[in-house]
Amino acid sequence: MQRPHSPLRMAAWVVGASLVGALALASCGGGGTSVSDTSGHGASWTWSLPSFFPTPKVPATNPMTAEKVELGRFLFYDRRLSGNGTQACASCHLQSKAFTDGLPTAIGSTGESHPRNAQGLANVAYNATLTWANPSLVTLEKQMETPLFGNDPIEMGVNDANKQEILARLAADTGYPARFAKAFPGQGDAINWANVIHAIAAFQRSLVSGNSKYDQYLRGAVRLSAGEERGMNLFFGEKAECFHCHSSFNFNDQIVHAGSRLVETPFHNTGLYNIGSTGAFPEPNRGVFELTHLAKDMGMFRAPSLRNVEVTGPYMHDGSIATLEDVLAFYAAGGRNITSGPHAGDGRANPNKNDFITQIDLNAQEQADIVAFLKTLTDHEFLTNPRFADPFAAQQTP
Amino acid sequence: MKHPQLNRFPLRATALTAVLLPLFLTACGGGSGSGADPAPTGPQNIAIEFAAKAGNVPVQCGSKIAGLGTGNIGAELRDLRFYVSNVALINDKGEAVPLTLQANDWQSKEVALVDLEDATGTCAEAGTAGMNKQILGTVPGGTYKGVQMTIGVPSSVNHSDYAVAAKPLDIQAMGWSWQAGRKFAKIEINPDGGVARPAPAAAGKSFFVHLGSTGCTGNPVTGETVSCARSDRMDFKFDSFDATKQKVVLDIAQLFKGSDVSKDEGGAVGCMSGATDPECPAIFNALKIDLASGQSVSQGAGQAVFRTEAK
Repeated sequence: MQRPHSPLRMAAWVVGASLVGALALASCGGGGTSVSDTSGHGASWTWSLPSFFPTPKVPATNPMTAEKVELGRFLFYDRRLSGNGTQACASCHLQSKAFTDGLPTAIGSTGESHPRNAQGLANVAYNATLTWANPSLVTLEKQMETPLFGNDPIEMGVNDANKQEILARLAADTGYPARFAKAFPGQGDAINWANVIHAIAAFQRSLVSGNSKYDQYLRGAVRLSAGEERGMNLFFGEKAECFHCHSSFNFNDQIVHAGSRLVETPFHNTGLYNIGSTGAFPEPNRGVFELTHLAKDMGMFRAPSLRNVEVTGPYMHDGSIATLEDVLAFYAAGGRNITSGPHAGDGRANPNKNDFITQIDLNAQEQADIVAFLKTLTDHEFLTNPRFADPFAAQQTP
Repeated sequence: MKHPQLNRFPLRATALTAVLLPLFLTACGGGSGSGADPAPTGPQNIAIEFAAKAGNVPVQCGSKIAGLGTGNIGAELRDLRFYVSNVALINDKGEAVPLTLQANDWQSKEVALVDLEDATGTCAEAGTAGMNKQILGTVPGGTYKGVQMTIGVPSSVNHSDYAVAAKPLDIQAMGWSWQAGRKFAKIEINPDGGVARPAPAAAGKSFFVHLGSTGCTGNPVTGETVSCARSDRMDFKFDSFDATKQKVVLDIAQLFKGSDVSKDEGGAVGCMSGATDPECPAIFNALKIDLASGQSVSQGAGQAVFRTEAK
């Protein structure tokens, strides 16, 4: 069914609902085309979820379809999407590492260092806010503008000078025109940035991880070892307090799903730093403070999901803790005391620290038990699922 | 009976007329010195011209700007673009009459982009070849004597997705993705000798001024960015302005008057609207925006960054 408006315009209307008619001239390649926007409404997408996972929230402007997810997978793994053709989304989000990169902090396509640790993408559809500490980025579509177009630091390096050239690279490919046409039927020339973003976001939403040993244990399919079970009880108990921030089916405390009406978006200071006993974190990694410049937001970061945490190190927003064992020691101490160097200061005494982060009497065995439990959150099927894998690698080895 | 001709076309009719009329720059009438002219009766096309200077010297890409800031530092322009909205002419009753912006490559109904760089010289690092030195629109017939406007993008469109936004909000360099909005103004210079930064950081090349709303929060349920703690929009007003004879000049020297552009004490290099950035108090004072609240101070009264000059 053809409708006289494009999804571009619909998206713009959602964002700027008061602008009736003002954005009629969509300028990024979608203008003047019409599209079937009913193509994806449940017609070709079925979620495969554990019984205790809610249905993910999907923007009305970007319905899931198998065709769009598949296009998004190609784009996610395609180096041609970066300005200089050297880097794909997947360069910093590796499936084998639950879509992290194994580095303390990421490196962009032109070699610039990112100040923060590349985040995992498992169950990212449920994230209420994206990135480490940004209350303003609440959809994958919006968040993606930063790695694609941001210039401080440059990540993918798409800019006003090369953005058309990059689309031309895709248009010249033997496979993309047909894939775009299938994913965005009725649009004519569908190779534009809005559709690139929509397709990658759809692929990201498909990255559901819910078949770890812990999930199998919940289903009654496997048993946990004695140590794993002790670790689980500590994790969910009032002694270790881990669950306060790493709660929910997804082991974090910012969740949005299809049935959400009110969503809280807490951020936490865990006492990683306390430069000069002022409470300060090092620039430009001061958490929500970087956006609000309010003292209460100093050092406040989003608690990441702990699913697949075994393979997502190094840990923390700046990758400054190398191993899970070190993370446990850090939380057992109630923060980190840095005794020398430019970041010297006792994070345990950070005045802005979350009240749940206190020194807890966790002996070595207890810390090891919690680590053992955390390793039951590794979903090996997710880390190797061909539906999430590099399609270009598959093409090279038929 | 001073203004019997004051036109009260419905907005839509006015906008339509504006599109259909050939572009010619009629007098906006009634300005000082032209009191004898009768006020036009129909909608009037208005073109407001902009220029950049440092003091009295024109500023352009590729030529040296002398004597900026407290240290009298020379500099090259790197970028000079800003969004303008809420443009209104002030009639002889003192009423602000909105200028209906024409839709073109540089303007939508809500906002216009003024682009005073051409990507030559040092501007090649940041800019684009196209320039836009004027705002085009219409006002109902009447007698006008002043003008007011806002440097900023209205919040209703500020958070639109860059990749799907209509012109002129589709300029990626003006996107401010991590703040989920736009840079309202992007004014960048490369001072001679660079910009010293606190150890261990190396000196930077550029002193940046990025104006934009900060502290924004989204609603995960609706997927919208709903509010920003600091608006950071600059208002200004000229009680006397005749668009046929005068232009609006952005004076870089006034913008940096209280700044030492040769060094940066912390935060972003220069001022990227950070409320605790050491370089922002001087810049925001020049813009007459309260740094703590993000609100325009007294509608910009006393600001000297923008002034009028004869064409």
